[in-house]
Amino acid sequence: MKNIDIQAKEKALDLLRDKSDTKLITHMNACVRCGLCADSCMYYLTFKEAKYIPAAKVAAVSSLYRRYCTFAGKVAPSLVNAKELNEEYAAEMVDLLFGSCTVCGRCVKHCSIGVDIAYVVKKGREMLATMDMVPATLQATVDAAINTGNNMAIPVEEFTDTIKWLEGDLIDEMENPEARIPLDEYDKELFYTLNPREPKFFPLSISAMAKVFYAAKASWTLSTKYYDVTNYGFFNSNTAEATQIAKNLYDEVHKLRGKKLILGECGHGSRANRWEGPNYLKKSYDFETLTAVELIGDYIRKGTITLDKSLNNEVFTIHDPCNLVRNGGMFKEIRFVVNSAVENLVEMNPYGNDNYCCGGGGGMLAMSEYNEGRLKTGKIKADQILATGAKVVITPCHNCVDQLLQLNHTYKMGVKIVTIAEIVADAIVKNNKNKTI
Amino acid sequence: MAQFELDGKVFEVDGDGFLTTPEMWNEQVAISFAKSDGIEELSDKHWAVVKVIRKNFEEKGNAPMIRTICQETGLRLKEIYELFPLGPARGACRVAGLPKPDGCV
Repeated sequence: MKNIDIQAKEKALDLLRDKSDTKLITHMNACVRCGLCADSCMYYLTFKEAKYIPAAKVAAVSSLYRRYCTFAGKVAPSLVNAKELNEEYAAEMVDLLFGSCTVCGRCVKHCSIGVDIAYVVKKGREMLATMDMVPATLQATVDAAINTGNNMAIPVEEFTDTIKWLEGDLIDEMENPEARIPLDEYDKELFYTLNPREPKFFPLSISAMAKVFYAAKASWTLSTKYYDVTNYGFFNSNTAEATQIAKNLYDEVHKLRGKKLILGECGHGSRANRWEGPNYLKKSYDFETLTAVELIGDYIRKGTITLDKSLNNEVFTIHDPCNLVRNGGMFKEIRFVVNSAVENLVEMNPYGNDNYCCGGGGGMLAMSEYNEGRLKTGKIKADQILATGAKVVITPCHNCVDQLLQLNHTYKMGVKIVTIAEIVADAIVKNNKNKTI
Repeated sequence: MAQFELDGKVFEVDGDGFLTTPEMWNEQVAISFAKSDGIEELSDKHWAVVKVIRKNFEEKGNAPMIRTICQETGLRLKEIYELFPLGPARGACRVAGLPKPDGCV
């Protein structure tokens, strides 16, 4: 068991002692442990153990608050269920708050009084990060982003070679030498971003988005240095690291003088940059920040691109990424784009704001330590997908894509998993010509 | 950390089933990992992908870009996804004995 440094422990407890964090104090103490949240949590539904009930995760943090920040907890801890922060307790917190919660926020919507349980969990994670107790694999992903500019440590030269290779294919496919994937260009309308797993292993979504931009005659660029839309600092909850990662992207948009930051298909990355970014940097962004889904939605509404649904004629379903839908407001926009691009959409049950997490959220996919639980809880999603009878699952989040790929294999679902850019690119009709691209 | 034994040697894997000591990798490990992923027999194409990944790892210490795998094996992207149903990371890199790559894979 890892020894806790006394000073680090005090710094972690200071997060609870901070009276200016009124949200934490209110929400943490408002939970009356009624247990209504139990059935909303995929960990409780899968394992049926009381420790996985979201309220118990709140209690993991509030027990410390009572012990160190209240009179009763200081003098008679056992009477008020106040707990000592020691090595054993901290190790349990790691398993509970990192290893058994995807911070999907479904419990928040099911809470009768709206306790932001995910916020409390993230505060607990922040305490653990302060004590240097983030699971090693998750921390490695954050370190890679801080040290190299992207979470897979892809060298600039290898990234550039990959993009040039994809551009060559795009030129061949469009039969037009002017088809481009611009790199490091200044003063473009759109500064586009990627999840590093796209250039590293799954580049078809880059080609698809490039086709959409080509059809829209968009003014766009990628940066070769900071193109990573992810921010795993949002998940390890180390605020200094999350701020550094958000700042790198913010500064790069400025450097290239991009007009709009377009967030590639990534749930937490969209949230961390669009909604949390200004909080991290403590200033409003002076450029517009949009998700790729909204940009494509705009193109469709304005007639910038024309889609032919009959080109996507299988049965489709949508997996709603928690950070884009429940926590990001993209429910209607995703439906608008998908219904414009496919003929036959069957929704899961439940779906939209009440949808279940894929099981890979909250940094879970990066944490090998908790692989087993991730695949077991993912069965809920696998069953949901199978019940739709769909052959293709669309999801605008690369993290979800990867979890769904593994669920597809584990539970022998026999479906295809695609991003929104991919189905839109497949449905594009070349402007003014009845020819598809 | 879980362990498994193959031909009298003990191997350790992480929670995702990736080798924790990539130096211990051999072709028997590759065959065993592939079987657990539902690949009954490794074809020449599978081995070509595995060799490119191994070579890159031994020279540069990380997994190659998918572009490198395609260009050095002459295989198309879609073929690689078909050869390794779990994809280049969880599929091919694991069979090639690499540690799990960071990030959303």
